[in-house]
Amino acid sequence: MKKVLATLMAAALAVSMTACAVPAPAASAPAAAPAEEAAAEAPAAPAAEGETTLTMWCIATESDANRPAYEQAIAEYEATHPGIKIEWEAFENQSYKTKIKAAMSDPDSLPDIFFTWAGAFLGDFVDAGNVYCLDDTYKAFADQLPEVMMQNASYGGSHYGVPLTMNIVTLFANMDLLAEAGWDHVPETYEDLTACCDALVEKGITPFGCAGKETWCVTEYLEPIIEKTIGYEALNEVFAGRATWNDEGIAASVSTFQDMINKGYFDPNGMALGNDEVKANFIAGKYAFYQNGSWNCGEVNDAEGNFQVALFPVMDSSKATYGQVIGGPSDTLAVAGSSKNAELAANAAFEIGRGICHYGYLAGSGLPAWTPDYDTSEVKKLVADVAEIVANSEGMTLFGDTAMSADPANTYLDYVSQVYGCEIDGQGFIEGLANDLQ
Amino acid sequence: MNKLYSNKFHIIVFLLPALLLFCGVLIAPIVMSAYYSFFDWNGIGAKTFIGFANYKELFSSNAIGFMKALRNSLLLAALSVFLQLPLALALALALGKGIKGERAFLSIYFMPVLISTVVIGQLWLKIYNPDYGILNVFLRAIGRDDLTRIWLGKRETALGAVFVPTLWQYVGYHMLLLYAGVKSVPTELREAAMLDGASDAKVNRYIVLPYIKPIIRISVIFAITGSLKSFDLIYVLTNGGPFHSTEVPSTLMISMLFLRNRYGMGSTIAVMLIILCFAFALLINAIFREED
Amino acid sequence: MKNSKAIRTVIYVGLVLWALINLFPVYWMFTFSLKDNEEIFGANVAGLPRHWLWSNYTSALNTGHMAKYFLNSIIVAVITIMITLAVALMATFALTRLIWKQRRRLNRFFMLGLTIPIHASIVPVYVTLSRLHLLNTYAALIVPYAAFSLSMAILVCTGFMNEIPRELDEAACMDGCNVWGIFFRIIVPLMKPAVATVGIYTFLQCWNELMFANIFISKTSLKTLPVGIQALSGQYTTAWGPIGAALVLGTFPTLIVYVFLSKRIQESFIAGAIKG
Repeated sequence: MKKVLATLMAAALAVSMTACAVPAPAASAPAAAPAEEAAAEAPAAPAAEGETTLTMWCIATESDANRPAYEQAIAEYEATHPGIKIEWEAFENQSYKTKIKAAMSDPDSLPDIFFTWAGAFLGDFVDAGNVYCLDDTYKAFADQLPEVMMQNASYGGSHYGVPLTMNIVTLFANMDLLAEAGWDHVPETYEDLTACCDALVEKGITPFGCAGKETWCVTEYLEPIIEKTIGYEALNEVFAGRATWNDEGIAASVSTFQDMINKGYFDPNGMALGNDEVKANFIAGKYAFYQNGSWNCGEVNDAEGNFQVALFPVMDSSKATYGQVIGGPSDTLAVAGSSKNAELAANAAFEIGRGICHYGYLAGSGLPAWTPDYDTSEVKKLVADVAEIVANSEGMTLFGDTAMSADPANTYLDYVSQVYGCEIDGQGFIEGLANDLQ
Repeated sequence: MNKLYSNKFHIIVFLLPALLLFCGVLIAPIVMSAYYSFFDWNGIGAKTFIGFANYKELFSSNAIGFMKALRNSLLLAALSVFLQLPLALALALALGKGIKGERAFLSIYFMPVLISTVVIGQLWLKIYNPDYGILNVFLRAIGRDDLTRIWLGKRETALGAVFVPTLWQYVGYHMLLLYAGVKSVPTELREAAMLDGASDAKVNRYIVLPYIKPIIRISVIFAITGSLKSFDLIYVLTNGGPFHSTEVPSTLMISMLFLRNRYGMGSTIAVMLIILCFAFALLINAIFREED
Repeated sequence: MKNSKAIRTVIYVGLVLWALINLFPVYWMFTFSLKDNEEIFGANVAGLPRHWLWSNYTSALNTGHMAKYFLNSIIVAVITIMITLAVALMATFALTRLIWKQRRRLNRFFMLGLTIPIHASIVPVYVTLSRLHLLNTYAALIVPYAAFSLSMAILVCTGFMNEIPRELDEAACMDGCNVWGIFFRIIVPLMKPAVATVGIYTFLQCWNELMFANIFISKTSLKTLPVGIQALSGQYTTAWGPIGAALVLGTFPTLIVYVFLSKRIQESFIAGAIKG
């Protein structure tokens, strides 16, 4: 079927090109253009003898905070590996998800190395047999990259992804606004947090901002509350599908979250905003708190004002402790099973991954998944603070929508967005999810 | 000449490029989609044949909410026919009569059609922004704070807020089509009616409208199939949210294909969309033929 | 008479108001391309920029490769329009002039294309292009774009071609022209008005298309404008000013060309309408 179709299309193209005499001169114009470009990009031209070219796709576009880290890491790799050339392309986040899934439908069109998210996103590609197993290559790097960091990209006991950075959900606090409400530190118990929020509301300051248009931002609030109510082990079991959603502790967490919303702790306009707008509001001093990924540390750190990082307080101290966090390594490089130089590409993925981790950490766009073997005294203050929190963490749960596979993850996100809009209560949440995610 | 024009070889040569292009890029993928719609498949791994189960689930599952999405797009189609087209027609009639600055108006009205949907989407996001959006700022300025809303964030207002720009952007498109029709009315017909003492309204009613009926039919077909296929602007403004209140079949299809990895179900929606569009096109043709 | 003058004024005011509503996005886009994030996100949404940040344009052009993407978009659009025209003219000739049984049915078959949503065919088309090694070439976009423009082009061309008197064909035939001669010497030159109409439809179809362009092209040197604009917005950080500049760069050339050509485009639209 496909072959017939291919032949048909080739013929169609040939006929339409030759059938009409008019387009011919125009058709030669574009042919000239790429030639010029090739000349401009001399290094991209066909490789010299003995030179190997590895292709790579990622999402570090020109305006991405991670871009410089990628550039440095790749330059470093090429410098230390003469004869190997990395040809890499960056795509916008949302459209990349579509692109990489389409590319999986014909593995021959995959690049040698590709960026992916760990957990179920990569898992689907591994199941289809499109990803190269990294177990052998990993051995050489095991002393710099702890095995626990490989876990999110491991399936059936084998490793398939190189982690770049890791991130946790972080509570960012604007200390100037807190001071206006009479607080000189970030509240560490729920009682203190409500007292602080009440004081803020009294002063006319909105305590929290949360982007309702992007549901993952809501999970950055809901998941820590659930974790701090039922404990990280229990939440891990639920995300993994080994325990039921029908858990009174989860219902209670949802009620807590909705209480906070109903008490006016959240900017009601957040429902219609995207994360960029909410973050801009927080940095501009419109909210006292902003709970989101630690990849924001660098940006918040560099903004004007007095900011601190912390974690969400404990709700049920019999099950959870303050040091339990949500997060883990998710940004990952993987190697295509169809790669002609898979072994070489695997080695490159590790080396480049290590470099991206290194330079990204110094730039403040994430915490290192690799053990740093370089001077970290230049790390930005907030990044260092979060690194400290992670070093002392007492348990970790991966982001829910990364842990679950695509279909249930989106069902879960549906329910989370209904929670934020107060369309359903705690009971509705746990019963609905238990029912739909069987 | 008939002999020349009946030559089978020539017929084939003239049709071949179009047929190949059309079948290769449009028809074959649709046939493949129809085939995939009978499978439970994530688009990458192994397929499982499940017969009509996707179709059954599509029409019965509340979680997918296809019926609601369909209702939304039918509502959009209705608004398009009963609001957008009459507005376009009114503009076309006003301009077609000859008015100062006719050409300038014509060019300006067509501009939104030329601007990328991404840009139009960003613009309306800013207009609807609850804090500093022009709409709420304006309402506060005239002292009607009670009317301010979180336009795109609330179930009650989101659908309307998404429809307004969707309808607005293509008014110019239909206007130009209809204007072209109005301009094509022979001047003698118009003048004869004027000499008989008919008013502008009467000329429009009895001379112009009947004359441009074929163009109105085309406009109606475009408006309805366009509404059923509408995607870009909704994707930028709400992506179907909040709580699926602005979901239309196309946004649902994309989320099934590329978010939820349910390739079989996404294909099912694609097939249903094509069937619906085609059915409506036939229906409209039938209605207009009846009128004749 | 007074009454009709009042009505005229009301109509005129209405037209002007509607014109302002339609001009606003152009104004807004231009001013927003010269602001920084702070002004865009609240301090000054609709006003003139406080500081005219022309640097947004330099950064859009430098970091974003906008000039290259623009060129690619033009190349793709021009070749697509040419192929669409050539293929559609040939098909329309067969559908309106040549004599055979199933031609009405086939015409309806082509009209099916008007109902097919472009997003439905991404994966099958991707696999086909990949097998043909056409991914990462201009053809990867030109072929699908031309295919999706074909139905509309045939619809428009049919209207025009039916208007051409058959006596012309007869005369040419008498003079000893064969089918090709009639097609190229008689029909094609008379179809000039259709070119603008088909051109603008096809242009609209492919100029702003994002999905195919993103998935079928993976080389920076071949990316088109919508993909470039998308790429300017990163994962976690987004500077809106340069994006606005990119939007202006992507939109204004079209608008300017349209304003210059509007008379011809409108005329051919009118011609198309009578016949379509």
